[in-house]
Order: sequence, then C-alpha cells, then structure tokens
Amino acid sequence: MLVFVILGVSVLVFAVSMMFDPAQRALLYVRNVQRTTDAAIRETIRIYGLEDPFYLQYGRWMSQVLQGNLGWSPTASQTVADSIRTRWPYTFEIVLFAAPLIIFIGIYLGVQSAVHRDKPIDQASRVFSVIGWSLPSFWVGMVLIAIFYGMLNWFPPGSASPEVQVFMKGAFVRYTGIDLFDGLLNGQPWITLDVLRHLVLPVVTIVTIDVALLIRVMRSSMLESLSKPYITTAKAKGLSNKAVIYKHARRNALIPVATLSGMLVAGLLGGLIITETVFGFGGLGQWAAGAAVQLDMPAVLGYAILSAVMFVVANLIVDILYAYIDPRIRLD
Amino acid sequence: MNLKERWQEFKTGLRPRIAEWRFMLKRLRKSYLAMTGIAIILFFVGVAILAPVLAPPHGDPMMIPKDYDIETLRTQEPTPPTIRHIFGTIDSQYDLYYACIWGTITAFRIGLLVVVVSLVIGLLVGILAAFYGGLLDEALMRFTDIIIAFPGLILAMALVLAFPTTVPLSVSNVLLAVSIISMLILLAFKPDRRLLLVNMLVLIFSVVSVLYSPIVFDLALQRLDKVLIAITIVGWPGYARLIRGEVLRVKNEDYIEASRASGSTDSRIIMKHILPNSIYPVLIVATLDIGSIVLTAAALSFIGIGAPDGYADWGQVISKAQLWMNGPGEIIKNFHTFFIPGLFIALFVVGWNLLGDALRDVLDPQLRRR
Amino acid sequence: MAQRNIVEVQDLEVKFYTYSGVVEALDGVNIFIKEGEILGLVGETGCGKSVTSLSIMKLVPPPGRIEGGRIILSGGPKRQDILTMGDDSIRLMRGKDISMIFQEPRAYLNPVYTVENQISEVMYVHRKNELLEKSITSLQKKLMEKRKPRSEEQRAKFEKQKAELEKRKGAEEHKAKLGEPEADLEEKAAGIPSNYEIRIYKRMLRARSRTSRLIAGFFSRFIRKRQLTAEARKEVVRILKSVEIPDPERVAGMYPHELSGGMAQRVVIAMALTCNPTLLIADEPTTNLDVTVQAQILNLIRMLKKNIGSSILYITHDLGVVAQSCDRVAVMYAGNVIETADVFETFSSPLHPYTRALLESIPRPGEPFKSIPGMVPSLINPLKGCRFHDRCSYAMEVCQNVKPAFMEVKKGHYVSCHLYGGSK
Repeated sequence: MLVFVILGVSVLVFAVSMMFDPAQRALLYVRNVQRTTDAAIRETIRIYGLEDPFYLQYGRWMSQVLQGNLGWSPTASQTVADSIRTRWPYTFEIVLFAAPLIIFIGIYLGVQSAVHRDKPIDQASRVFSVIGWSLPSFWVGMVLIAIFYGMLNWFPPGSASPEVQVFMKGAFVRYTGIDLFDGLLNGQPWITLDVLRHLVLPVVTIVTIDVALLIRVMRSSMLESLSKPYITTAKAKGLSNKAVIYKHARRNALIPVATLSGMLVAGLLGGLIITETVFGFGGLGQWAAGAAVQLDMPAVLGYAILSAVMFVVANLIVDILYAYIDPRIRLD
Repeated sequence: MNLKERWQEFKTGLRPRIAEWRFMLKRLRKSYLAMTGIAIILFFVGVAILAPVLAPPHGDPMMIPKDYDIETLRTQEPTPPTIRHIFGTIDSQYDLYYACIWGTITAFRIGLLVVVVSLVIGLLVGILAAFYGGLLDEALMRFTDIIIAFPGLILAMALVLAFPTTVPLSVSNVLLAVSIISMLILLAFKPDRRLLLVNMLVLIFSVVSVLYSPIVFDLALQRLDKVLIAITIVGWPGYARLIRGEVLRVKNEDYIEASRASGSTDSRIIMKHILPNSIYPVLIVATLDIGSIVLTAAALSFIGIGAPDGYADWGQVISKAQLWMNGPGEIIKNFHTFFIPGLFIALFVVGWNLLGDALRDVLDPQLRRR
Repeated sequence: MAQRNIVEVQDLEVKFYTYSGVVEALDGVNIFIKEGEILGLVGETGCGKSVTSLSIMKLVPPPGRIEGGRIILSGGPKRQDILTMGDDSIRLMRGKDISMIFQEPRAYLNPVYTVENQISEVMYVHRKNELLEKSITSLQKKLMEKRKPRSEEQRAKFEKQKAELEKRKGAEEHKAKLGEPEADLEEKAAGIPSNYEIRIYKRMLRARSRTSRLIAGFFSRFIRKRQLTAEARKEVVRILKSVEIPDPERVAGMYPHELSGGMAQRVVIAMALTCNPTLLIADEPTTNLDVTVQAQILNLIRMLKKNIGSSILYITHDLGVVAQSCDRVAVMYAGNVIETADVFETFSSPLHPYTRALLESIPRPGEPFKSIPGMVPSLINPLKGCRFHDRCSYAMEVCQNVKPAFMEVKKGHYVSCHLYGGSK
C-alpha cells in the first residue's frame, strides 16, 4: 500500500513537471542557457523525446530514478543525487537537536497542562504555544538574527564561520560528512563548537514554532487518558498521584503522540525550507527553495520524491513503534 | 414529501441545536483567549474595511505607492519611520504603512477564498467517499493519501511555477465534471423525477459539447491567483479525509441504526443526524486553516513566487527586506522593514488560532453537555 | 456481644457543582457495615450508590465534593473519621484496608500493562517491606546453597549457619535495637553471605528518612532487582490461584484485552484482595457478565470472605443477587438510604413504601407487571421533604415538607419514613 503511495506521488510529481511545455523542459538538458538557439532546442526536444506521450516519458524517467539517476540540477551544478548527498548533513544537524527538544518539551508541557488544567501553567503554555504556532518561521528567524547577531553577535547565521570553512577545505578528513561530528573526529573540537554556535538560532526557531503542536496533542490525549476508568482503579489501589499520572495515564496518552512525533521528524527531515533559507544554512531546504524559484525542475522533483519517501518510511517506523507501545496492537 | 414540509422538519430539528449553540456561545464568551482572538479578528476586519480611508490609494489600490522623491534623490535603501511614512519605507522606497494596511485585504482574500473553496471540494469528496464506500472510497482515499504525503509547501511551489499564465478554461469539461458530481449526490438522496431529468439533460449536453465542439475561453491568471489555486489544491484533501473519518464514525453510532429502524430515509438521516454531528471538527480546522494558509502564502511570497513585486502583500514586503540584510549593522538599521509586516502576519494568525483553539475546547463533545 | 461495626457512614452529604446546577447527590446517607458481613446496597440507577462507595474511599471526582457527615472506620482498636484525615493517610488505606472493584473489569484495568504488573503494583505500595525481607532471605539462602558443603563438618557448620539465619530473621527488635551496621556485622560474623543485590534491598528496607529513601530509590533503579520481581511474581501467582484462575503463571503475563470478562473480573478481585482488606467494596461487579459467570463470581466472593474475613459492601440493582448472597440490605433512593435491615427481614416484611413497591415489581410468572408510577426526581432541585413523596401511595401532608429521620423501628431494622414516626 505504501509502495502505491510512493508511486502515486511520483506520478503526481511528474505530472506537475509535465505542465511545463517541451521547450522549457528542454532547457534543463542544456548547460549553457543563454547561448542556445531555437534549432538546438528543437533538437533537444527530439533527442530526449520531450513530446512523447505521458506514459512513455514517465516510464523513461522512472527507470532513470530507480537506477539512482535523478537528473542534473542546473542551480546546483551537480547531479540531483549529489546535491542531496552534500546538503543532507546540514538539515540533519538541525533536526538532530530540534526533534528531541520538540518532543521532550512538548510531552512535558503537555502533561503538566493536562494535569493542572486551567491553572497558570496550563494557560501560560497554551498561550505560548498558540503564539508560537502562529508566527511565520522566516519572521522569527529574522528577528532572532537581528537581536542575537545584529545586536549581540552571539549566534551568527550560516552553518559555519568563514575560518572554519577555509579550514575544512584544507587538512580535513570527512568521516561522516556531518560537520558536527567530523570536527571532533578530526581532533578539532573548536569546529564542532563553532557549528553548534551556528545551530542555536535555527533550532530555536524551529522548536518555538513546532512545539505548539505537540503540546496541544499531548494535552488533549492526556486529558482523555486521565478520564479513563483504569485511572480510578489506580487511585483505588492507593498509588501516589505521581504514579497515577506518570505510570498509568501518560503511557496511554503517549500513543497518539508517538504517531505525531514520527510525522514531525519526517517533515523536519524533508526540509526546513524557509528556515534554512533565512539562515543560509546550506541544507536540503534552502536548495529546494532556490531550485523552485529558478524553475530547476529536476531538483524540485528529486526533493519532492525524497520527502515523500521519508514520509512513507516515517509511517512505517511509527507503525512499528505503535506495536511496541500498545500491546493491543501486537497480536495483529 | 414536498419542500415546505421538509423545511418545517429542518426547523424543528434545529431547536435543540440552537439551545446547544447558545450554551457554547456562553462558554466562548467566558474564555479570555477566545475573546482576545475575536477582538483581533475584528480589528483586522476594521482595518480592511477602512483601508481606503486609512491609506488612500493612488491608482491601483493593490499596488504600493513609491516615494519617487526620495528614490530619485538618494537611494533605493529603506528609510526608517518618519511623519511622512509612518512605518518607514522598504526597498525601492515603497511605503510600508500602505503595504501593511492594504495587505490586510490581501490576507483576508487569501484566507477566506482558499478555505471556502477547499472546504467545499473536500466536503463533497469526503462525503461521497464515506457515503458510497467500496471502490470509490478506496480510490478517493488513495488519491488524497498521495497529496497529503507530499510536503505541502513544495507541492504548492511546484504548482505555482507550473501553472501557465493563461489557462484555457474548458467550460464543457467543467460542466461535465459538475454534472457527474451532482448526479452522484442526487442519486444518494433519491429526489423527485424532475431534478433527475434536468441533471440528465445537462450531463448529455456537456458530453456532446466536449466531444464535438467544446466551449473554451482563456483565463488570465495573476500570480496571486496561481498561489490561491495551488494552496487550494494542496488543501482540500485534508478536509476530505477529515469529513470522511467523521462521517464513518457517526455512521456506526447506534442512533443511526435506530433512526433507520424507525423508517427514516437516507436523506433525512444525512441531514438530521450525520451532518450536524460530523461537521464540528471540520469547522474548527477551517478556522485554524485561515491562519495557516495566510502563513503558507506569506512563505511563498517570501521565497519569491507569491505576490508580484510591489503588490500589497505582507510576505512580499518581507521578501524585499532580505535585500538589505548584509551584515549586522544593516540588519539593525532596517529592522522595521521585516519586523512590522511580520508583526501584522503574526497578529492576524494569532487571532484566528485563538478563535480556532477556543472553538475546539468549546465544541469538545465531552464538554458540550456537562 | 454483637459484632462491631467496621464502617459507619453518618449523615453523608455530597454535592456536585456542574454547569447545569448543583446536584445534591447524597443527602444525609446513613450506612453501617458489621465485621465480616456482606451488606447489599440496592437502588435504581442514579440513586447515589456509586457515589456513596467512592466517598468511603474519598475518591469522589470533581466537580463533586463531600460536604458533610462522618465516615468512621474501625480497623483494629482505633476509630477514626476518615473525612478528617489527610490525603496521605487515606492513600495508605486504599488498596490495603479498603479496596474496591468495579463494573466493567477490562475497562478498569490498564491496557498497556500485564496482569502481573498491575497486581504486584499493589504489593509494592503496601507490602514492600515484606517482599524485601523475603527477597533478602531467599537470596541469602541461595548464596549459601552455592557454597555447597563438602564434608560432614562443613555440612554441620552449614546447618548451624542456617539456624542462625532463621534466628536472626525472627529477631527484628534485636536488629532494630542494634542498628543497621551492627546487625550486618552480626550476620557477616555468622557466616551469612551478601552481595550487591542484597545490600541494595537492605538499604531500601531500612531507609527511614526521606533522603535515605530517595538515595535508595535512585540506586535501586539501576540494578535488575531480579529476586524482588521473582518474589512478587510468586505472590501474584498464589493470589491468582486463590481466585480460581486456571494456569495462573500464564495469566500473569497476559494483557487485559486478552482476558475474558469473567477472568478479568477474577483478576480485579485478586488485585483487590492482595492485602487482605478489612472492607471490600464491590460496585456492581457482575452486572456486565453472563449469568453463569455471575454465579461463579458470587460464589468466589463468598468463599473469599470466609477465608480472609473481610466485610463486603455489595452494590447492585439486582434483588436476586441480594437475596442470595447478602447478610443485610440497605435500600437507597434519590440520595438517601431509606431502609436497612437483615436480608430475611427486608424481604419478608419491608417497611418503607419504596421497598415494598420494589419487591412487588419483581416479575412473577402469570402475573401482570407492576411498576412504580412516576420518575426518579432530578437531584438538581430536589423536592422538599421526603424525596419519594410524589410517587408514594401512602404520602401524607407531612411528607411534603419534612424530611423523615433515619430511625431504628424494630431491632436492627431502620427506616426513614413518616409512617413509622420519622418526624422527630
């Protein structure tokens, strides 16, 4: 079933790209756009069969994709596959910090809001989360940059300082491809620190906005769990309030939150388009945004497929997690 | 049963519903957050209505006026607030105050239009899927699954780029689609012969027209229209799934079975029992969506594929602020260029989110009658 | 001397503050339960039976509040009004001195934890020290077994050490007087072995102050506590056997959704009886079960009462069950107990009009149905005076204005009705 979704997404994505007329699409196969003549364009159309029926072109494209050839991205001057490979670590760095923060803060505040319903902590976290969810991510990013970089110069934008980037071109071995870890693995902890310094603002931006969703879901799930009959039993057994809340209610309340978290992480990994653009972070999102504006269709298509695949994979993982948490599902 | 009797029945069915609404309204009034949200929304409504008074337009109201004097005299660079330009100017000397005021109208237009249209489409699809079940349901749900699996922003981006500027709108095709859908709906409701006949005729007419001489005319799309269409296309599947889930849940409740056992027709069951009980979550999501759609549109404008240059749109204005953010000094100097329009966006969305959240609390079935 | 009262509920008032108004759920309820008896609490749905039982455990959920009256429990020599007790003291009694079982057993068990987990939970709260002692002893025995004696001499020495161990186990005051380190040294001198697990258990056992308890809890989280869980498991299996669950080892590892209704109810009963409570409150435990299963459960409850000696408050609306299993009956209507008597007395000579009507309405073959005219009143704005007067065929002028008092009319037979001089 999930395979069907991936296939469907690829069809959809391809269909969107087909909305461009053949001449436009021919330009993608040309390295030097300015110096192309009309004749050359017509030739390109002919060679690549850009006017063939839909299913033929789709078939050709799909077979390429399945072989790992996602096409050439003019904006990146690399193949799409390479672009993904080089840019993915930056997105990963952000998600590595943002996701656990969102999940843990969300769970904690959600539980507290539910347990102390309508009391100050509940009101405060709900107000905070509503506001957080309503803020445009680029605005938060820009304001944070203005304050913490413009005024204080504590956390600069970008993924690494110029000194670090120069250093990394020199005597630097890329073990994992992730700057954060490579810094340590190369014995240069100051690089790691520098990367962390650049990570603070983007992570704060993302967390502020996304934690709201988790708080809300955790809160309502917890409220529902607390009104269940087995909570009365737990109290009747003489368990402390803490045990009732954390051992009995929360475990059951976490089930829908787990699904949401999985989706959240998939969405984050798929790319923080706006945030990365604002901070110039050089990850998947920024690349996709630039590609879209410049009509770099292979890049956009490749990115779309990547996101869809991650969505599907996240679904799978969530299903497995579900079976682990909820014994009622295991037997099926 | 004729129309008048059906109307009477609807009205009597409405009475307990009205009492429930009054109860919910009372609860809504008690919540500070809800009242704040409504106040904010009303504020923006006021701004939108009074826009011509607050910021008199020169020429096309939706295009921000430039201050040519400053531009020709000095630079393109944004200037901080002065008496002449209350919020200052942004790149190319566009007046920020004007942009923010008229941007309110843009925001309402985007939010309401997109939500209403995607809601209607989603409801139609979702209800049909839930009602007929079987193959139609499966097919529609797989289709919505695919669209939902897509990262929304990217799909919207791709669609905005891919839409040609002039769309040949085939009226015949549209007519065909509409008549098929209404046929399905009518068949579900078992109406009287005349309506069925009329629909049949329209259907045949549109089939003939599509095959032999289609009626087509070109539709010129503004960039903003493309954004609206793109977000609508991305948005309707959400509603479809939601209403389908709710309808399926309600369909299995005992009172439906009881109603059927006491002889109600399908249409009565749908109108009196299923719809009112399944519509609330959809309304909540719709309210919250008005805010998030405005955010999405702003994001698209920010990237550069939303409203065109110089259009009175908050996101577009912030996008231009990026040009003058090189280095910490410049960022602070031009703080107003992105802070103020962003504040408008944030406040607008906060208003709708507060209202949506409060609605969600108030309409929570457990609390509805305590 | 007659049996004494385990529980006395006097003039209990409970109100619920809802959006639609104040519900006067309990309006001066009087109940007493004697030691070792089964008291049946009957009444229609909504008359306040569950609220009464929850009040005894002080578990009335908000927006409900206990507004007046006294609930006196006599466990041991002391009599105390639990409504004056602090929350912590009451919490210690729940599950230990008073326990409760409910109507739909599978809904009242946590779906994500096994049976064993949920039953042993009660033990960890109330019988932890006992379990710890047992674990320590078992571990010590095991370790001693490991040092298998080789020769006769060593075997004799081994026997002597075991005897020492037994003696030590019995001398708790001796240990307490000595203080912990000294007691440990004594054991060491006697050749009784120890390992890190035993040491942790001892620390957990002896932690007296809050800080030492916290430290003990902190460290205990990291070790596997194998012996402790094993001891708990043994006890769980034993308890499951006592409620006649077949194959208790397997059932212990099952989840609530895997159990049948009857099985689940047995598990719930087992859980409630873990600490041999003085009072067991059973809130319609068999209402949702098949009749055959219902009979089994009732038998089980009666047997357990005999073995453990608990008193039981059995809430039901099924008069057949009452007649079959209860010693005494209390009849409730609209938030009041209107009659209480021995079960034979109640069925043979009911005094209150409501009780009479109730008994008459039991369907008998060949006779037309008799029901009580009218409806149960709303408790938001209850009637003045006797709450039954609008449906009572014997209603008098005074019934509309004055609420009748709860009085002993015959020996052991209490009624709240003006027909029997309820106006004091």
